[in-house]
This record gives sequence, structure tokens and C-alpha cells, in this order.
Amino acid sequence: MSWDAKAAQREPAPQDAAQEALAGRPSPQGVGGPLPPPAPGAMSYTYTTDLAAIRAAVYRQAREAGLPEPRAIDLVLAVSEVAANTIRHANSAGSLKIWYDTEEIVCQIEDDGLISDPLAGRRRPSLDAMGGHGLWIVHQVCDQVDMHSDETGTTIRLHMKLPGRRTG
Amino acid sequence: MWYNKCVDLLTVSVTARESAGEPYTLVEVAGEADVTNTDELRRMLEEEVAQQPRMLIIDMSGLRFMDSSALHALLRVNRSLDRQGGVLALVAPQTAVAKILRLTTADRLIPVFDSVAEAAAG
Repeated sequence: MSWDAKAAQREPAPQDAAQEALAGRPSPQGVGGPLPPPAPGAMSYTYTTDLAAIRAAVYRQAREAGLPEPRAIDLVLAVSEVAANTIRHANSAGSLKIWYDTEEIVCQIEDDGLISDPLAGRRRPSLDAMGGHGLWIVHQVCDQVDMHSDETGTTIRLHMKLPGRRTG
Repeated sequence: MWYNKCVDLLTVSVTARESAGEPYTLVEVAGEADVTNTDELRRMLEEEVAQQPRMLIIDMSGLRFMDSSALHALLRVNRSLDRQGGVLALVAPQTAVAKILRLTTADRLIPVFDSVAEAAAG
């Protein structure tokens, strides 16, 4: 698994993308189609190393949106894991956008890293593995995960369904 | 022996204790452990592992948050201790910490107790 702009640069350029695909290797072109734009009025944050501030913002927004406490904690965990990948692997600061409506709350994390494995985070890593739990946890706790990654960067969108509003 | 070290958000304090005549090392971690302070956390824990304790107990009751890099540090400590015949035990994880331990099944590998006394009694 390469979620690493620097590692990707160290890899030799593929001579033939089709040949790479036939060989069953992850595509260096990245994964996922482009995502629709965030909702207007989304809250926006930038982070370099201050993940605690990001976690606090996510928790506050999630509770404001009406996400129950245990799910808010799950969302904090997921966002923190994705943002940790920015610190580990991207060359840029990361950006976080949060928005919600009556149905769901969405957190979008963007950086200049590259994910070349379409199945990143889909397989359970062994406890002996020295990494790879981050994205797996993200997939376990979120209701929906959208991922788009190419040579310009990576966008990951985490969705959590909100409990239905009671009427009356 | 008693000391405190602050790493950004994270405080780690270490005390040497005894339970029924058996010595153990108690490490209290408080704050938030993530990728930005994992190296320090790992280094401090490895210093304690190097003392070859019979039992290393990590009191997590003050730890609000732990991410997968901090979890890997714990798994590493668990392996090192195991190799030298020692035991690692975790105490009183808060909701977010308990969640990552459960999700990754690390709580089946490393015993988790409600209190330091229970952990020390084994």
C-alpha cells in the first residue's frame, strides 16, 4: 500500500500502465472518481500538526449536528486517523471541511498525498503489522467513505448518518 | 522513583511499586496520544521495558484519545515484554481508547483491567 507522495516519487515511472494493471499492481494514477463539491457554508480548518484542535472541532460540530456521543467519538477517531496520514505522508498542510444537514454529517480531509491502492483500508491488518490500521479503522467506524486520489492530491470524505428528527 | 514528562499534549509519569511483595512498574499516561507524540511515548515506554520489569501496568484513565500509531507503540512494548518474560497490562481506558482497542482486537492480546489494584493482582 502506498499512501505516500514521496514514496510514489521514488518509484520508477511505470513503462506501461496496462501492463501494471495486468500484473495486478496498484495503479500509480490513484483511485476513485472526482467528488461533488462540499456543501456551501461548510466549516473550514487547516492543520499541520495540531490534531488535537482538529479533533475538538470535529467533536463540537458532530454534537451540534445531533450525532450521539459514541458516534461522535467514532468520527473523531476516523478524522484523526486520516489527518495523521497527512502528517506522515503528505508534503502539504491538510485541510478539513465539515458540513451537515438533517440526514448526515460529512468531514472532508484533503492533502497532497497519493493513495494508489483502491483497497487501502479495506483489509484488516494483522496486529503484528507495523502500520495500516488507520484507514481500516476509518472504514470500520464510518457509515460511508468516499476517496479520490490522483497526482494532485487526496480527498477523503467521511459520512455519518444522523438520527432521525422526532416530530411534534 | 518518580518523574513526569510532558510531550505536547501527553503526560507520562512512572512509579515503581509493589503488590504482595512483587515489584511492578506503573506508567500513567494522560492527555492525547497521536502520531505527533508517538515517538516520545514509544521511547519512554522502551526505557521502562529496558529495566526488565516483571509487570508493566499502563494506567490509561487520564488518556482522552489514542490513535493507531500510539496503539502500535503499545503493541510493540507488549511484544518486547513478552519476549523477555514480562507482562503488559492496561487499566481503565476511556471510551475513545477502549474503542480502538476493541476494533483492532488489541484488547484480546493485551489484558485490560478496571483498576491498577486488579491489574497488579493479575
